[in-house]
Amino acid sequence: MFVQTLLTGLAIGGIYALMAVGYSLVFSILNFSNFAYGSIIMLGAYISYFSMVKLGLPIGVALALSILGAALLCYLNERLAYAPLRKRRASSLFFMISAMGTAIFLENLVYAIVGAHFYAFPEVFTKRNITFHGVSIGVLDVFAIAFSFAAIYALHYFLQKSRTGIAIRAASYDIQVCSLNGVNDKHLIGLVFCLAGGLAGISGTFLGMKYIVYPTMGWITNKAYIAAVIGGLGSLPGAVVGGILLGVTETFVSAYVSSVVRDVFSFSLLVLLLMVMPTGLFGRFLEEKV
Amino acid sequence: MNSKLLAMIPLAVALCAVIGCDKKSDTIKIGQAVALTGDNSTWGQSEKNALDMEIAKINAKGGVMGKQIQLISYDTRADATEGVNVTKRLVSDGVCAIIGPGQSGVAIAMTSVTEPANVSFLATSATNPKVTVDDKTGSVRKTAFRTCFIDPFQGTVAAQFAAKNLKLKNAAIIYDVGSDYSSWLGKYFTTEFEKQGCKVVASEAFRSGELDFRAILGKIKGSNPDVLYIPTMQKEAALIMKQAADLGIKAIPMGGDGWASPDLITLGGKAVDGSYFVNITSLEDPDIQGFIKDYRAKFNNDPIMPNPVMAIDALDVIIDAITKTGGTDPAKLTAQIAQTKNLPTLSGNFTIDPTNHNPLNKPAVIQQVKDGKFVYVTKFVTQ
Repeated sequence: MFVQTLLTGLAIGGIYALMAVGYSLVFSILNFSNFAYGSIIMLGAYISYFSMVKLGLPIGVALALSILGAALLCYLNERLAYAPLRKRRASSLFFMISAMGTAIFLENLVYAIVGAHFYAFPEVFTKRNITFHGVSIGVLDVFAIAFSFAAIYALHYFLQKSRTGIAIRAASYDIQVCSLNGVNDKHLIGLVFCLAGGLAGISGTFLGMKYIVYPTMGWITNKAYIAAVIGGLGSLPGAVVGGILLGVTETFVSAYVSSVVRDVFSFSLLVLLLMVMPTGLFGRFLEEKV
Repeated sequence: MNSKLLAMIPLAVALCAVIGCDKKSDTIKIGQAVALTGDNSTWGQSEKNALDMEIAKINAKGGVMGKQIQLISYDTRADATEGVNVTKRLVSDGVCAIIGPGQSGVAIAMTSVTEPANVSFLATSATNPKVTVDDKTGSVRKTAFRTCFIDPFQGTVAAQFAAKNLKLKNAAIIYDVGSDYSSWLGKYFTTEFEKQGCKVVASEAFRSGELDFRAILGKIKGSNPDVLYIPTMQKEAALIMKQAADLGIKAIPMGGDGWASPDLITLGGKAVDGSYFVNITSLEDPDIQGFIKDYRAKFNNDPIMPNPVMAIDALDVIIDAITKTGGTDPAKLTAQIAQTKNLPTLSGNFTIDPTNHNPLNKPAVIQQVKDGKFVYVTKFVTQ
């Protein structure tokens, strides 16, 4: 049971990690929590669901469409909702309020256009599982974890090695100084939102496959946000560690104590951790971020 | 001032009701409190369709005592607060009785309005015992009735069917701690299953809105059950069965009438195949074929069971009471409904147990999911 619980925890944590990275990425540059991110993930799930079921596209194409679609939506979200605020130098509180408004708007838009119906992905490989010595894990979980980490690693590599990546990292320290040095901050911010949106497409597709697709599914990202805070908002490795830590802790509490007190437990852990380490595990105020 | 006003509300409401119904009008107003939007709307919409169709038929034949029936339906969104608001509106509209709601929580909340106003409601699929009997005083609620059977019965049938027909010995239960429906079904299943000499090896709770059950399923897997009782709504049930299959749990899943939506199959896919659930009625029930034919002809799809049938049973009971009392006075109807005996309704002979306002000897149906379809297995009769 211990190994089974650990594996399940890792599978859940992997999804948290992927979403937490998206939160952290935006936070590192603009210093606010993009609560509309959950809705972008939800839309990503709808895009890949409809590409697969209505258009009959193979999963790879659906995933690619979802990544592109979510990236575009995330970019539009920034251009339409946040860019005007940034121009007026609004405080991050207003960004957050605007983000919440966007989240509720998108959710209700889906209710109005698509309806409240629950959708499930066709059982491509969602049904298969690997059993070894009485411990089972779904093929989808393995694939989701592997793909998520590949995506996170690719992002990390991009941020560390490429010119644009270096510019993004520089901007995460001080965006004004960065633009004084000739970096086009408008493009840079747009790119960051596209990257976060791409990750949202991946997480939306996997979330939809693992569970179901419905308008309020984005609220699961609350957990991912908590994971990002535990890891230290703005820190990529922190988001990954925070996600896995939260997933595994939750699963162990559910399995060994009770799933009813699971959230009591994980949120107390969050409060306690923040009391001891106010910037999370990896967050160093104005130091190493992305 | 405030308390005086508050005290006057029931009075005013009752007055409105009396005036509304005694007025010499050509219509008989019957209310419907129903979830037309939200998670439960699948049943609610179908329930309203069925009533509209049935009432149109009755009206075409000249109505009841020469008067046309008018159905006033308001959306409760399956929410208790909204249910209370809707009931207040129905009472002030002057309905003589109310059909619905489908949810126990909404029904219990509604009694705060119907009791002082003395307007009866007949719940369609609210199966919690507390709907008709106040568990604090143990006395029956004067205006609360139902046309479906109650939780203990649903849990009892499932437990007996698992023990006697399927010959299963060890049960694991997963229930939603945030839902009265789910917790009560779980409790009564446990009691009856143990009475049958079998064992409940695991009983795990989760919170409403949960999506991932693998942690508790992993724990359940270790206790090796041969039946997995999941008294939840279709969304959770489908996810639980899918994830149980992922973890390689071989136990036979069983549930209650909350499963009876095509969503169970679309969401659960192959994982729900072979599972059993108790239902109030079924599309294959030979007694209701005429109704189903008409419904299909009119709406081009199947009624979502069991609410449409339960709502028509309720309509039959109200019409019977109106005919017997010769009027639409809500208080007289309330007294008459409590004495309903051997009334032929859509689903069969209907009797109200005056001690608890539940139907007596209401048969239950066992259904199975087979190759992506709900299949009728057998019919149980209450003892």
